[in-house]
Amino acid sequence: MSSEDRASGVEAADDRIVAGRAADGDAAAFAVLVRRYTPMMRAYARRLLNGTADVDDVVQEAFVTAWEQLPALEDPGKVKSWLMRITSRKAIDRARAARPYSALDAVELPAAERSAPPRQAEARAGIAALHAALQELPRSQRECWVMREIGGSSYDEIAEELQIPRSTVRGLLARARKDIIVRMEQWR
Amino acid sequence: MNDISTPTPDAFGMEPDDLDGYTIEQLSDYLDSGRTPVNPEIESSPGCRIALDALWRLRQLSPELLAADTRAEPEADESWVQSILSGITLDARAGRRIPIPSPEVGADLGITEGAVRGMVRAAESDVAGVLIGRVRIDGDPTEPGQPATVCAEVSVAHGREIPSAVDHLRAAIASRLADHALLNLSGIDIVVHDLHGVPSSLGGRRGDGIGTESEEH
Repeated sequence: MSSEDRASGVEAADDRIVAGRAADGDAAAFAVLVRRYTPMMRAYARRLLNGTADVDDVVQEAFVTAWEQLPALEDPGKVKSWLMRITSRKAIDRARAARPYSALDAVELPAAERSAPPRQAEARAGIAALHAALQELPRSQRECWVMREIGGSSYDEIAEELQIPRSTVRGLLARARKDIIVRMEQWR
Repeated sequence: MNDISTPTPDAFGMEPDDLDGYTIEQLSDYLDSGRTPVNPEIESSPGCRIALDALWRLRQLSPELLAADTRAEPEADESWVQSILSGITLDARAGRRIPIPSPEVGADLGITEGAVRGMVRAAESDVAGVLIGRVRIDGDPTEPGQPATVCAEVSVAHGREIPSAVDHLRAAIASRLADHALLNLSGIDIVVHDLHGVPSSLGGRRGDGIGTESEEH
């Protein structure tokens, strides 16, 4: 049986089976994970990087790291959230390398080239308002909020990744939530 | 810092003055705790309740944002998948070296644990409707003659009778390993972790791991 044939079968299996095979060295199963989670990881990286062009590089690096570290993943059934975690690490590293913080709370000027709201057709007012509010957030707030609410990271994981105290994460998250809610109310 | 610019008198109240002294941080924690134990002070404050509702709505919206963002991204095309695969090291999973018995004196033959796992996985092609996940070899297979147990996680196709699938798979694995005189097998554990191909009308999924059932044999 060729690896392609097997992959088409493995496509039907759940994450635990697919990631378990990939951890055992089955590259065809790993390809299934790549197909399954590339769009989600790209979406997450795009939110973290606020529409810069590095999304492909971040996701590619994340998959290479995932392949190397899969054997150490204790519960292959949790591969989805684990991939999100790796994606945020790669995205944050890249953001830091490109443009280190001058001050944690520095407010960004609105990005010159905004990513177009991808959900025009979606026409869901709430999502569009949230999209707009996120684009206006200062970088540190946006990163905390996106890692917490989109990536599902814990406060401790965010603190470690951003190299800031846990209490700062809590404060940034509270401010992000407040800013988003107020902006969304104004937008309505 | 980061203050909302010039709040109008009727602006959405999110400051401690509007929240009977509570902060958004405290209200977020309260929401995280599922609003238990009930804090009567918060629950009886109109300002707090408005803010809690807003926080709750925002939380409901977050997964929808990710879902919409994900739908807006292109599917992974084959050139993308191949570019990822070309960047990974395929021989990274060799594992332990497992000796192969040889009638010739002094011969020193061996095979990697990764190759043995691949051989176990290949047994799925002998049995219809079975997919093998992670394979573990317990015991010390590096010592000739030492008993070893193979443990495999599997997914069984919807509609396939599980006990018979498991029996057939166990026999297929044993036969493949016996062909190469590999391992002094003391047992083959097969754990059914998932059913695949469940129709969506019965709560099936598209391979995203929702609705997993576990059954041990």
